[in-house]
Amino acid sequence: MKVSYFALLREATKKRSEIWERPAPTVRDLLRDLVAEYGPNFARWILKDGELAGFAIILVNGQDVRGLQGLDTPLTPDSDVFIFPPLAGG
Amino acid sequence: MHGWIGKILRVDLGTGKITTEALKPDLARDYIGARGLGTKYMYDEVDPTVDPLSPANKLIFASGPMTGTFAPSAGRYDVVTKGPLTGTIAASNSGGAWGPELKYAGYDMLILEGRAAKPVYLWIQDDKVEIRDAAHLWGKDVPETTEALNEETAADAKIACIGPAGEKLSYIASIMNDMQRAAGRTGVGAVMGSKNLKAVVVRGTGAVTVADKEAFLAAVAKASTMIKEHPVGGTGLRLYGTNVLVNILNSVGGLPTGNFQDGHFPTADKVGGETLAANQLQRPKGCFSCIISCGRATKVTNPKYKGEGEGPEYETAWGFGPDCRIDDLDAVIKANYYCNEYGLDTISMGGTVACAMELFHRGIITRDDTEGLELDFGNADAMVEAVRLTGLGQGFGKKLALGSYRLASLYGHPELSMTVKKQEMPAYDPRAVQGIGLNYATNNRGGCHVRGYTISPEVLGVPVKVDKDSIDGKAELVALFQNLTAALDSSGSCLFATFGIGAPEFAELMTALTGFAYTGDSFIEAGERIWNLERLWNLKAGLTAADDTLPPRLLNEPIVTGPSKGAVSRLPEMLPLYYGARGWDAQGVPTKEKLSALALA
Repeated sequence: MKVSYFALLREATKKRSEIWERPAPTVRDLLRDLVAEYGPNFARWILKDGELAGFAIILVNGQDVRGLQGLDTPLTPDSDVFIFPPLAGG
Repeated sequence: MHGWIGKILRVDLGTGKITTEALKPDLARDYIGARGLGTKYMYDEVDPTVDPLSPANKLIFASGPMTGTFAPSAGRYDVVTKGPLTGTIAASNSGGAWGPELKYAGYDMLILEGRAAKPVYLWIQDDKVEIRDAAHLWGKDVPETTEALNEETAADAKIACIGPAGEKLSYIASIMNDMQRAAGRTGVGAVMGSKNLKAVVVRGTGAVTVADKEAFLAAVAKASTMIKEHPVGGTGLRLYGTNVLVNILNSVGGLPTGNFQDGHFPTADKVGGETLAANQLQRPKGCFSCIISCGRATKVTNPKYKGEGEGPEYETAWGFGPDCRIDDLDAVIKANYYCNEYGLDTISMGGTVACAMELFHRGIITRDDTEGLELDFGNADAMVEAVRLTGLGQGFGKKLALGSYRLASLYGHPELSMTVKKQEMPAYDPRAVQGIGLNYATNNRGGCHVRGYTISPEVLGVPVKVDKDSIDGKAELVALFQNLTAALDSSGSCLFATFGIGAPEFAELMTALTGFAYTGDSFIEAGERIWNLERLWNLKAGLTAADDTLPPRLLNEPIVTGPSKGAVSRLPEMLPLYYGARGWDAQGVPTKEKLSALALA
């Protein structure tokens, strides 16, 4: 699947996007592996006590997982995943 | 009085008469300041059917009670008048340091009346107020004017002025203060130009007093901590500015593209906040008392678009970028610099160029009309040149200076103007985000996002996530956001403080500062009073429920590509619910009961 990073997560991963080959049946599985890969600078914006941190935004195929099944939202090898740290503007 | 100075400065530019008068405490309490208080004075003193560019219109510069204190991110003021672009009551909000300086000079508000016989500027030094000749400044751009006035008045005086666009009465002209900050929307710069007023220069040596110092210190400390510790308010805005939104809006399919023909732009990332931070950004910059610093001091080294200044905000990057199908960030920033220098609203300017590009693309206008400009989508050079010409009022720029509604109407196609109440909509597609469309349609100053920023819950999930595609609860959500924003605009606070604090904290600050007992509910109720008063003004000006709508494209033409493909705005379903939530009748007129409850009857 394709995983894209934005704002501070580009700093943490040093990437704009990547093709993620490891199996990840759910968003939870994917995040667990990404945290292991990129460490605390990635984790601090995304997870808190094992759950999705407040205001972090994860989109799967353009849909916010907060309106789907949260961390249990299923993924497939064709999924397009966007991960944003908390952000704002106006 | 505490918080408020308690004094209003009134200047008749026609007669040269300069007077002061006391601010009534009950008016201050009920309408707070800035946008609310300015609207109350307009309502009481000016016929809403007035020609906005006639001497009978008034131009009010109004600070809020928190302006000039060290409440976090609360140093703003509003320009209140009848807006020539929209014909509505206009309150255009700006930061920088000008608003605080007006209070230090001893005034909550400055009311300008009449029209000067020749170009003048106003020089306010505490009690000493002079109307001075500005013949030597007429025609100068904003940086030239600001530098010249700092030279001939005081080096640390704060300056609000118009550029050539305001002088030439462009309907999309802004008033610029502190060189780079804009009271941008609704064409307030043209009202200033119509009064032959080039600038208002202020220097003050006074102070703002506080009712309960200990309580205020505690409320400021609490609010500051909440903003700094908030994941959104404390970090992201400083690092990336508001333009970080380009990618998230594009990713959900809500980034208006090609004059709102689509909601997704494949190369949007090239004009986003991350790209800006990596390339043109020199440093973040904050307004008076700001602890967020979302402003962008930037520099472009590309010889074609070389320059230095501030911006872009998200709306600006979108307007000159994806809405024109342009992904050259250097060109976008150059267009922003021109707007700052000539005094133009970037949102309306971007929307007007995008509209012109669609007219051109469809063959409705040709190079004969544009005087040689190949003004098609994607042409960055033509976009930048179009902005320059608009600022100077030259060539095809004279027509662009009318804004997109009047431009498209000239060529028989008003439906191609992406406006509400003739003002260009900002950077969120109402088809992809239902609540923001309801806010645009019902907004008291036309297409505007900041007076009911439902993007926060609908897209960002702050303070809680709501479904952007659903219409359930949107009527109540929009009304609440509009009311809260009316109150905080009136207080002098920045909207972005809400990325950390809410109505209870604003009430604590206001109570400690002013000595009047505000609660979260009474603070929001003051906002509701202000919103309804603005509505009453607009109804008296001749607007009706028929004006509470969106361009037909957004109601009938689905988004073509991206994650929101197929979506249209469901405004017709939401609007009756909104009127109901507001306590208005089916025609959008506030009921007697509602007006009575708000002490407006």
